[in-house]
Amino acid sequence: MTKYVIPAPKQPAVPVVGGGLFPVRRIFCIGQNYLADVKEMIGDHVKETDDEEKNAIPVVFNKPADSICTGGNIALPLATDNLHYEGELVVAMKGGGSNLSPYAAEEMIFGFAVGCDLTRRDLQEVAKELSGPWEMAKAIDNGAVVGGILPERDFWALEKAHLILSVNGEVRQSENLKEMIKPVWNIVADISRYFEVKPGDLIFTGTPAGVGQLLPGDRVRVGINDLAPVEFRVTNR
Amino acid sequence: MSDFVIKAPAIPSVPVNGGGRFPVRRIFCVGKNYADHVKEMGGDPKKTPPVFFTKPADAVHTGGALIYPLATDNLHYEGEMVVALKSGGMNIPAGTAGEHIFGYAAGCDLTRRDLQAAAKSEGAPWDAAKGLDNGAVVGAITVAEDIDTLDAGILSLSVNDEIRQQADLSTMIWSVPEIINRLSQLFELKAGDLIYTGTPEGVGPLVLGDTCRIEIDGLQRVEFTVTQAA
Repeated sequence: MTKYVIPAPKQPAVPVVGGGLFPVRRIFCIGQNYLADVKEMIGDHVKETDDEEKNAIPVVFNKPADSICTGGNIALPLATDNLHYEGELVVAMKGGGSNLSPYAAEEMIFGFAVGCDLTRRDLQEVAKELSGPWEMAKAIDNGAVVGGILPERDFWALEKAHLILSVNGEVRQSENLKEMIKPVWNIVADISRYFEVKPGDLIFTGTPAGVGQLLPGDRVRVGINDLAPVEFRVTNR
Repeated sequence: MSDFVIKAPAIPSVPVNGGGRFPVRRIFCVGKNYADHVKEMGGDPKKTPPVFFTKPADAVHTGGALIYPLATDNLHYEGEMVVALKSGGMNIPAGTAGEHIFGYAAGCDLTRRDLQAAAKSEGAPWDAAKGLDNGAVVGAITVAEDIDTLDAGILSLSVNDEIRQQADLSTMIWSVPEIINRLSQLFELKAGDLIYTGTPEGVGPLVLGDTCRIEIDGLQRVEFTVTQAA
């Protein structure tokens, strides 16, 4: 039995639909995975991806495992005047490895959930401008909102699925998941070229067009067909 | 007691001088904190505020054999002093920051420099460059009560016994209390956090077979050898 000199932090975990908890090891996030969002973020010069781009270094970043938030009230994060929502499909891994093929990656999937990547957009703009790291924008406390995980790895059913994010009942993001530039398996395979993927990993698979600001009092709901929706309310600091 | 659907990952931890282990919650890192290193990287030390990035908690590596990471042809060492926190908070004043310090250790921020250069040229995130597996080398933690305030002392990093980095901690641009103050304006700091306080000039590549050692006056040294994947 390990003797810790301070109390060990609590294991971050996400409820599983049907019972139990999924313990979180790492959170990976992919950027720029919907063409319309890429255009929105970096202008109109984006073309369809060719093979070279498909093999390029993916835009991948982390959130701390304990930045998981399963809904409810979220205090407006520190140090931002421009908190943004980004509704996303989240993949939960029960296995892993490095340099996985997309087929092997598919076998390692535990299930899927709905999520929201919260972003300090003002700090992200500064980071991009200075070629600096993104963590001050992305690795924020409670910044990885995720709903209950459906323990079902049949992505074909999900591919017909549609992501809808609404703020105060008004739809802000609405996109079919088949509009993803890279499918889920390829995203996992890509990440495994840079990091060993392991059980307990969550992967946020990118957000479609329509990202925008949240203010205290706003109620956000993200849903994807049969997945458990996630809801939260932004409160004052 | 828990009803985890898969086996929970082990809690990452670091040995403590005198016994016990320090469980790691998060790893924060400061970039650009020694004037010479900022000049080396092409910046003006007085003009640029410190930048913060993170590493995954389970990227801690406490020395010994270290497998050459995936996806890089240019693995770099960055020797650093590491601060371990026993408590935290938000907006911590520099004047009381010391109360939250559990101890100090010698460490090495491993970096896939080729991926960092690519990220910088694209305005892309640094995580693939900095958040690598085993990329947060850290030696045993010396408890803060066992040492005088650690605001001076020589940090040196050697590769195969040849010194590559050497600087006095007193030449940091941002002091440890100032770092804690700044960082806690962005994130709520908590017990179990490690803070890498930046690297001085002299960063460079590591190749298979290299043994890298980081020593800081008054702290336990840490040493690792870069090996091939099995």
